[in-house]
Amino acid sequence: MADLSLNLCGVPLKNPVIAASGTFGFGREYDALYDISLLGGISVKGLSLKPREGNPPPRIAETPGGMLNAVGLQNPGVNRFIEHDLPWLLQKDVVVIANITGEREQEYCRMAEVLAPTGVHMLEMNISCPNVHAGGAAFGVRPESVYAITKAVKAHARQPLIVKLTPNVADITENALAAQEAGADAISLINTLTGIAVDVHRREMILRNNTGGLSGPAVRPVALRMVWQCAKKVRIPIIGLGGIETGEDAAAFMLCGAQAVQVGTANFTDPFACPRIVRELDAYCQAQGVRRAQEIVGTLKSH
Amino acid sequence: MIYDIDAPVLLRDTLADGLIRLVLRAPEIARAAKPGQFVHMLVPDSGHVLRRPISLMAMDAQAGTLTLAIQPKGPGTQKICALAPGAAVKCLGPLGTGFDGGDAQTVYFVGGGVGVAPVCAAMDAFATPTSHAFFGFRTKLHAYGMTQAPCAVTAVSDDGSIGQQAPVTAPLLAAIGVKRPDLIMACGPLPMLRAVQHIAREAGIPCQLSLEERMGCGIGACLGCSVRIADGHGGWHYRRVCKDGPVFDGMEVIFDG
Repeated sequence: MADLSLNLCGVPLKNPVIAASGTFGFGREYDALYDISLLGGISVKGLSLKPREGNPPPRIAETPGGMLNAVGLQNPGVNRFIEHDLPWLLQKDVVVIANITGEREQEYCRMAEVLAPTGVHMLEMNISCPNVHAGGAAFGVRPESVYAITKAVKAHARQPLIVKLTPNVADITENALAAQEAGADAISLINTLTGIAVDVHRREMILRNNTGGLSGPAVRPVALRMVWQCAKKVRIPIIGLGGIETGEDAAAFMLCGAQAVQVGTANFTDPFACPRIVRELDAYCQAQGVRRAQEIVGTLKSH
Repeated sequence: MIYDIDAPVLLRDTLADGLIRLVLRAPEIARAAKPGQFVHMLVPDSGHVLRRPISLMAMDAQAGTLTLAIQPKGPGTQKICALAPGAAVKCLGPLGTGFDGGDAQTVYFVGGGVGVAPVCAAMDAFATPTSHAFFGFRTKLHAYGMTQAPCAVTAVSDDGSIGQQAPVTAPLLAAIGVKRPDLIMACGPLPMLRAVQHIAREAGIPCQLSLEERMGCGIGACLGCSVRIADGHGGWHYRRVCKDGPVFDGMEVIFDG
């Protein structure tokens, strides 16, 4: 058995596999299938200051090698999460990452404050969800606004702050650097790529929201490229995600420079994907003669 | 308990025009399943990231088998329907909240098209001698589910090739005029469900409607399949078809206009 453990911004994880926000709820449904303590961490369903109902259906559409979603951040609000879901999650031996989202800077700051005294281990700031008409995407697109919101939230955050970056930009490394300069403790990338799906028979959009976020193996090459580019520019840890389905996919992200990975869409294809990826990553390390998984981070040979 | 089983195909045949019947061996799921529940099927050897939710038409706890009726509509369901006996398909289940007969003495069952399949499972569990089923099909060639039915069945069709040329709600309404049921259970196309809801509401008869929506995880985590359900205080909230449903209290379902 290889040593899969790591220290992410001062937080110990038993392995680098984290369930991605929005695909895993608050962990309860998957814990009915397997012990979620097998995972390194869980990034919970995106939280807003007030409860959100989300978008009308249809919210999802399958696409070649992937899927689009436009759930619209349906969630019970940060306070309900703290009262109702967090105590249960904290009984589990797993790192809890609170994924936060908002439409105004002060909402993010307020959530960081509300979460500060709780047992949440890390914060992940979603400034890249493309589904919310009123804002969301705006914070994550321009480096100046990434810098501004990161700086503001960092001032209120007690836990390490991960900034989740959108790929829907000209140069993601500029935003990665902006997050780092503003004090982000880590970055996670990539969020979904904006797309649409067309029903040619009815001649209409499949998603009621029209646009949705593309995820799944279809985006993996783009995600790998972006992680590789960012790893060459930033010093802070990188959490890689985008279409990871196997332990070898996870290893590819680590070779590109990610200390940890997140698994999202694969949970739908195989509800046991996360613990399987942990086992497969271990097998990969053993086959490669790697004692500690972290040894491979950023060791990709490029031409 | 939810199981993810490599279920061998025992039988594959054509149930009706455009409808394939698969009988799978999945003893754990068959034992645990309730009528109205579904399995989330992995499309075999494919790049399809989403599973396909398929309602149970019948489950035999003793034989350890599940019977499914599947429309080979898109590339995913076509691959599932092409499975030959001996092949296996990954099934996650049983999932969702199904029909609940409660203490109803007389149940009227309403099914339309592929929606007849879960209604058959409900009939197996909740039919009584005074119960009655009403099935609507496009044509006689599309009809199924009527042999070995545990209660009386009235079928109608769009072209009159089987039963009356009428919507399924026509014989339902007539039957309600003769004898009021304690409960209506229905699954079928949206216009049919809407009409059944209207009839049940007018007559003050409790009803349960099985809904369909594009689905992600199938277990309630991703919120991809939310539908609007009344909250009992004049408002509404989104509820998950995969977990809170697919069967909902018909009075609470809000059909988008």
